[in-house]
Amino acid sequence: MITTVTLNPAIDREYFVETNDPGNHQYIYEDDGIRVSPGGKGLLSAINLRNMGYSDVQNIGFVGGKQGLFFERMVQDHQVTTNYVYTKNEIRNNIFVIGKDPVTYTHYNDYTYQVDERDVKELIKRYKRGIVDSEYVMMSGSIPEGVGFDIYRRLINIANERDKPVYLHASGEALNQALDAEPKFVVPYFKHTNKILDEEVETLDDYVQAGKKLQEAGAEYVMIPFHCDRLVFSEDEVHSISAKNFCLLNWLGAGEAYNAAFFDYILNNSFDFIEANKYAGAAALVVAEERDIFIHNKQEIKDMISKITVERVE
Amino acid sequence: MHLVKDYMMRTLNSVCTTDDIEDVIRLMHRTEMSVLPVVDWENNFLGTIYSNNILKNVLPEQYGFLETRRLLHEVNQAAENLSDIKTRDVTDYMSRRKLTVREDDKMNNVADIMLDNEESYLFVVNQEEKLRGYISRADLLFYLLEVGEM
Repeated sequence: MITTVTLNPAIDREYFVETNDPGNHQYIYEDDGIRVSPGGKGLLSAINLRNMGYSDVQNIGFVGGKQGLFFERMVQDHQVTTNYVYTKNEIRNNIFVIGKDPVTYTHYNDYTYQVDERDVKELIKRYKRGIVDSEYVMMSGSIPEGVGFDIYRRLINIANERDKPVYLHASGEALNQALDAEPKFVVPYFKHTNKILDEEVETLDDYVQAGKKLQEAGAEYVMIPFHCDRLVFSEDEVHSISAKNFCLLNWLGAGEAYNAAFFDYILNNSFDFIEANKYAGAAALVVAEERDIFIHNKQEIKDMISKITVERVE
Repeated sequence: MHLVKDYMMRTLNSVCTTDDIEDVIRLMHRTEMSVLPVVDWENNFLGTIYSNNILKNVLPEQYGFLETRRLLHEVNQAAENLSDIKTRDVTDYMSRRKLTVREDDKMNNVADIMLDNEESYLFVVNQEEKLRGYISRADLLFYLLEVGEM
């Protein structure tokens, strides 16, 4: 089994309109004008892994209220095993309004979700017994209000005690504190702040230094998105994973495809950090070149791998 | 061939033997489930806890179970009884009968087991007896509907 952790999931509601015209009534008559889907970084990676053929993929986290039941049903459609702590408060709803003419993109990001202390205790209990069969644990995404910034550190410590390697995709203070627990793989995300470990990153050198600091702070391997590339840090080397001759349609879901494909590679091959990242980069490219946000099968990754290049930076 | 894995709910929503009755009631209410699987710390399936069984233990004894009209008059007594037991462990109120199916079992067998035992839910376990989800009467009926339409 592979376990993914999503502490702050959301129901994503996308509305596709001809022209986004605030202040006026707008009508959507076609089914494909509305898309409702379960969202959350860890969950999207879980769905990708399921699509890649893993029969036993679990998503652990919080969901809330009656919409939580709806959310869980949507996840079940992807045949991902759910392990959710139900909270009193309703789950988040992210609203996207996408206009066609002119092209507009309006996103209402819902950060109202709160959980209480009792829910956090229950999550820890569920997580302890939920990961017993897991080969790897992936933790990914933001944390809701009411959950301490030490949550990832606590979860990683539990996984480490049980010899379950952890892949952490996090940001801000939750990431900073998690490093104490020495996660095996770390992927920071920082688009909203442009900061890694509270330091701004702009130049290639900033990114390289940030990667090394993440390793000094506890991460064994680090992968940092660097514009359209990815810088990957192993024990004493830094490489850049790049794509050539590609047509970017969307980045939504590319990071989650990357995370899932990285797992797929290391589960099926002897551990080769660079090759795993190359394969993961090809998976991200599959999603970036299509409108869909998921990988559908492994073959489409293999077909894309020739577009990925690896260059040693240090 | 129709298998359990084609119709089941893949969920590990469950309680542990050491959880208390209040935890069980909250989880039942929020997940709209009247039966929950009970597992140990290794996620091994140990049995089930039924809302009926908790109710039996809080309703005033002389009125018996399911006489809801009379329960209304005795609601304070029932609430008091529940208050007394809400911190008790699941282990005191659970059923240890392990009636389970596997993901690769045929749906035909589910009908037999479910109806023979008057169960609304059957829990699904893997080869190591670890919880993997459940299948409900509604799932069974939906399967029968599909078979009839073939």
